[in-house]
Amino acid sequence: MNAKPNTIIQVQNLSKSFGNLQVLKNISLDVYQGDVIAIIGPSGCGKSTFIRHLNMLEKQDKGKILFNGKDIYEKGLHSRFVRERIGMVFQQFNLFKNLTVLKNIMLAPVTLHKMTKSEAEAKAKELLNKVGLSGYENHYPSQLSGGQQQRIAIARAMAMNPDVLLFDEPTSALDPEMVGEVLKIIKDLANSGMTMLIVTHEMNFAKSVANKVLFFSEGIIKEQGTPQEIFENPKDERLKEFLSVIH
Amino acid sequence: MFKKIPTWAILFFSFAFILGCNDNAIPENKVFAVKDLAHKKVGVQIGNTADIYASDFGGDTAKIQVERYSKLTDAIQALSQGKIDAVLCDDQPAKAFLRQNQTLKILDEVFVEETYAGVIAKNNTALLDTVNMALKSLKNSGTYDSIFNTYINRNSDFHYTQKVKSENKLILSTNAQFPPYEFHSANGIEGIDIEIARYIADYMNRSLEIQDIEFDAIINSVNSGKADIGLAGFTITEERKKSILFTTPYAESKIVVIVRDNNKISKTESIGELLHKNFIKEARWKFIVEGLGNTLIISFFAAFLGICIGIGVSFVRFAHETMGGMKFLNTICKIYLAIIRGTPVLVQLLIIYYIVFSSVNVNKILVAVIAFGINSGAYVSEILRSGFKAIDPGQIEAGRSLGLRFRHILSHIAFPQAFKTSLPSMTNEFITLIKETSICGYIGITDLTRGGDIIRSLTYEAMLPLLAVAVIYFILVAGLSSCVARLEKRLKKNER
Repeated sequence: MNAKPNTIIQVQNLSKSFGNLQVLKNISLDVYQGDVIAIIGPSGCGKSTFIRHLNMLEKQDKGKILFNGKDIYEKGLHSRFVRERIGMVFQQFNLFKNLTVLKNIMLAPVTLHKMTKSEAEAKAKELLNKVGLSGYENHYPSQLSGGQQQRIAIARAMAMNPDVLLFDEPTSALDPEMVGEVLKIIKDLANSGMTMLIVTHEMNFAKSVANKVLFFSEGIIKEQGTPQEIFENPKDERLKEFLSVIH
Repeated sequence: MFKKIPTWAILFFSFAFILGCNDNAIPENKVFAVKDLAHKKVGVQIGNTADIYASDFGGDTAKIQVERYSKLTDAIQALSQGKIDAVLCDDQPAKAFLRQNQTLKILDEVFVEETYAGVIAKNNTALLDTVNMALKSLKNSGTYDSIFNTYINRNSDFHYTQKVKSENKLILSTNAQFPPYEFHSANGIEGIDIEIARYIADYMNRSLEIQDIEFDAIINSVNSGKADIGLAGFTITEERKKSILFTTPYAESKIVVIVRDNNKISKTESIGELLHKNFIKEARWKFIVEGLGNTLIISFFAAFLGICIGIGVSFVRFAHETMGGMKFLNTICKIYLAIIRGTPVLVQLLIIYYIVFSSVNVNKILVAVIAFGINSGAYVSEILRSGFKAIDPGQIEAGRSLGLRFRHILSHIAFPQAFKTSLPSMTNEFITLIKETSICGYIGITDLTRGGDIIRSLTYEAMLPLLAVAVIYFILVAGLSSCVARLEKRLKKNER
């Protein structure tokens, strides 16, 4: 039984409604160290809402989320301790517009006393190098393309040395020619052993990078499995229909 | 475009100046006796007994159209410009005005006769007794006659100077626009009432402090304890007796009718003469300088206080809107905003002076700073709030997802951006603030506007003092605008 690596996140019977609309219905999921999980599914099926819960940007109605075995909403455990360890990359990049690239990356580690200023600066420069944007330290977000902004956003999330990284449709707001540069960075991260959950519409990317694929539909995980199982041998009718439209 | 603005302003002010110099088409006088006042436009001072008499005049068939002015000087100016047909006022001030203004005359027929007395708070009978004894001693010692010879008969040069110097003060409320009873001169406020007050103060072994406020605010200031005694040519009336105590009468007066004199055509003064009369003579420019100083002090500190309050309130509201919580504080802020934005700033100023600080002797400039600061804070907070609203929620979420606490997000991300977007509206608010301080005269502060008013009350000349005041306000506002424009340019460097 213990052949599997450590569980980092356990989701138990998670439910959430917005008004009368139930977006998540009793979802359960275990995320293990080193997992790269791709979440696919039609628009409005609850994919984004699900991973926003993992970053405590939404409050569930029912169910539990355990991070390293601890309930993240348990009293006394401050949300910031969870967020410091779980990074998130947004569809719209959400860079801080009033700060330079370097300061965007350094802000959280320095303000939260994770690193000294010089440590954070060294780390930021290393990350910029990794995402291929050395030399852009003093640019402001508005001076960058969408693809560049998203690479900075990834570097910003990485600066906190998170245990898990969440991606909420990281390439959906990008021009087609910029999608590749962002996906390459995410792929590099996956290869380095980072635990990640990625909501995406890029099926080829999901196929090549994920070790597990979840198909969300109407607020539940309709089917899950390895990329081969999901893409080459789908069982659920809804999934078959979804894949046929996408391809 | 920006460089052209001063040019346009100069054109505008010169145009106003030319219009001001051109005083033709003044209608002929048609009032020759008291009965002619029926259906005429007649100016009075608000709160003066002439107002009451004029309103009662003529029954329903021959009513007077009463025009009320807060200063007698304004009524006299309106009369000489032909805006009204006559002015009703006490005979001594009327004579004083006519010495300056040669184109007016007093009708021989007297409108009504009356007596003057001082006013003291309704409940303060002890002070009333003391003051009455002082007035008695004033008459018995012959000082009274000497004062009246100086001011009314103009055949002596006696002035009663105060002898007692004491920490203990007698505070006099008056309205120094009523010569010869009280008026501004190069030596400060002077007049019959002032010298009588000095005598009373000496008699009580106190030093005299003078408060120069609007005439209709004097009774209030005495009753609220802001002042001990009011001397401003008050006529005893039944109505006033209900709210105030009157001392024994110390002067008699007649209400007379002032009209334009058809035989005397106004002589035009040269610009040089006008400038000399309004600014150089008796160093009258000092009123403007003193007023400008107070306007600057009040505007600056009120703006500072307004920014502090505005930032605090907008933080609470922003926190409540993004995170929930702070419910109680948010409700308090909302009540504050509703009250401040729902009432005129003048009313707020008066409430703070007469009600909030009624029992404390507090510096009036400080009162104005507090009143305008609290007022401005409400507008600044709403301006900042709209700045906060303009920030896309994604940035706030990104901050939270990194583990940043709300105060970090506020200080590093949200506030700098909100401040920048709010800057143009904020400038607008401070421009308004500078101009709004022109109501400080209501609580007796000599601000820029009031400084110009004092000169007007001395020279009976409207154009130059008003234009000078307008030009100075304009320069202040233009200076502020260009400073902010520079700041905005610097902040813009953060972006493409």
